[in-house]
Amino acid sequence: MTGLEMAATAGIWTLEILAIAVTVALSVAYITYAERRVIGWIQVRKGCNRVGPAGLLQPLADGLKLVLKETIIPTTANKFLFIAAPIMSLTPALVAFAVVPFGETSLFGIWDGPHVMAIANLNVGLLYIMAISSLSIYGILMAGWSSNSKYPFIGAIRSTCQMISYEISMGFGLVTVMMLAGSLNLADIVHAQAGGIQHWYMIPLFPMLLVYFISGCAETARTPFDLVETEELVSGYYTEYSGMWFATFSLAEYGAMILISLMTSILFLGGWYAPIPALDFIPGTFWLLGKTAFLIFVFIWFRATFPRYRYDQMMRLGWKVFLPWALAWIAVVGIFIYTPGLDSIINFWMPWR
Amino acid sequence: MGAAYLANEYIPIIIFIVIALVMGVAPLALTYLLAEQKPDAEKLSAYECGFEAFEDARMQFDVRFYLLAILFVVFDLESAFLFPWAIVLNKIGFFGFVEMMLFLVILLVGYIYAWKKGALQWE
Amino acid sequence: MLETAFFNLFAGLSILSGMGVVLARNTMHSVMFLIFCFFNAAGLFFMLDAEFIGIIMILIYVGAVMVLFMFVVMMLEVNQAKLREGFLQYLPLGGLIAVILIIEFIAAAQSGVFTEGVKATAVHISQQVNNTAEIGQVLYTRYLLGFEIAAIILLVALVGAVVLTLRTRKDAKYQNIAAQVHVRKEDRMRKVRM
Repeated sequence: MTGLEMAATAGIWTLEILAIAVTVALSVAYITYAERRVIGWIQVRKGCNRVGPAGLLQPLADGLKLVLKETIIPTTANKFLFIAAPIMSLTPALVAFAVVPFGETSLFGIWDGPHVMAIANLNVGLLYIMAISSLSIYGILMAGWSSNSKYPFIGAIRSTCQMISYEISMGFGLVTVMMLAGSLNLADIVHAQAGGIQHWYMIPLFPMLLVYFISGCAETARTPFDLVETEELVSGYYTEYSGMWFATFSLAEYGAMILISLMTSILFLGGWYAPIPALDFIPGTFWLLGKTAFLIFVFIWFRATFPRYRYDQMMRLGWKVFLPWALAWIAVVGIFIYTPGLDSIINFWMPWR
Repeated sequence: MGAAYLANEYIPIIIFIVIALVMGVAPLALTYLLAEQKPDAEKLSAYECGFEAFEDARMQFDVRFYLLAILFVVFDLESAFLFPWAIVLNKIGFFGFVEMMLFLVILLVGYIYAWKKGALQWE
Repeated sequence: MLETAFFNLFAGLSILSGMGVVLARNTMHSVMFLIFCFFNAAGLFFMLDAEFIGIIMILIYVGAVMVLFMFVVMMLEVNQAKLREGFLQYLPLGGLIAVILIIEFIAAAQSGVFTEGVKATAVHISQQVNNTAEIGQVLYTRYLLGFEIAAIILLVALVGAVVLTLRTRKDAKYQNIAAQVHVRKEDRMRKVRM
């Protein structure tokens, strides 16, 4: 390959990456808007409706306000880590999107056969998502520690413990998906669910769908698991951050929320496939994004509905409810696969076998 | 996997990391340059509900958080053993399944022990 | 060419960050350097086609073990001045070990194992081979014993951690949710004749 070709390929990749990363950042802005409107609707009030038509320019106004805020770095803070923490928090949240397959396309017939629309179609895609999203812990720990202030420190420790607790049940829950799909490649996992709603993994793995989605809720510290940023801790690990610096953490948090919704759609809700094969003429990307949008709505719905958990209740849910469920479901799926008679049932979801 | 796979799948990730870093740094630099900076001693002091901070913020915390982190490492390692097993389940046969159940039972003993001892109990 | 460049990048950064771990004055900075070092090691694994090991490196070492490290560092709050006190005392022994290591490195480099031709050239295996599946196929059949021993070791680690660090408080109040849910009318109410 010549230097020119290499530069061209790298340029195309860069454009693709920007298309995803910038879209994620923009959708975060509009999810905050949707959140306010939806919660307003649920609570029978208006929500933001002043800036622009129906308040649609509100996120831009918010962004402008945040940018114009003063940067405050406390004198007692560890300067280097204080500055690095928001970046360490945002980067993994964005980089995780590299392996998400957004659909399949043959580019209007230019390519022979469908190509998976992912920046990197890794063989270990699922593990990559898990590994990268586990890195966001460091942004939080560093923010809490480097602030050198009491509330952020306590908030960071609590937040970390919450995240690692739910990461365990998430990991075990996903093992059942791997067992059925026989692959760690996200595109393969979606392909294994082809052929309509009855083939989606949400049917044999319904408890794991709950475990994964609710754990995702806890990982991103959304209500009802938002006890790391409660009033008693004065918004937790980012107490000392101001303006855009604070917004960067929110950006990472909402980015993680989009990722969890996307992953739930891909792993349990058939990814880019339509519920009825007859509807597959609509491009898969729309289906995937539609499912994701619905799950994001569920996140917001949770927030408007559930009261906050207490710390001991939250720990109990993660360690004493979800972990045994996930372990039991691994055994159940395994027994189904290896028991004559029952294996014909499970083979319905394992067409590749 | 091969060199082509490595180049086609991993180089974009490296580019992505660079872009994500830039996207992280850019707004922070922008706000630092655009916004008026008027620092003073009170503004830059650590937050503590209206009074001066009176002791080191990095206090000792409950040893239980530490225990939780150890449990996390153990269970994370356990799940790392499950991943390759789950995707070759079809090829290693019934024997492989029984073997993993044995593995899980051994760890279940530890899990039940931790549960009964109250290591998973928070108040 | 590109591959060599990336190898040099990852190898160089891992050495630099390794030095950072030892030389940083702030313990927290050391931990951050160690995390960065693990990332570069993972990059080297990817370049050797060891995809699964590379990802597990990030998932386990960076995602789990280093969190534990960080908790320990936060808890101990190492006193830097005290650490430096014993520096001169241990210098001769440490220096001796360093010198021996350097001699060993030079001897290894001169031994002829690394000369061109003898050195196995990195040949990438074909795209069809899935690294994770390959590991699975040998780990659960040929290396079965080692795998079950790993289970025992993990069990010991778990029990050991609980025994060493768990201190239950007698005065704490616990919520028993199962008992709360299963409570019946008869347990709580009593009919009183007026």
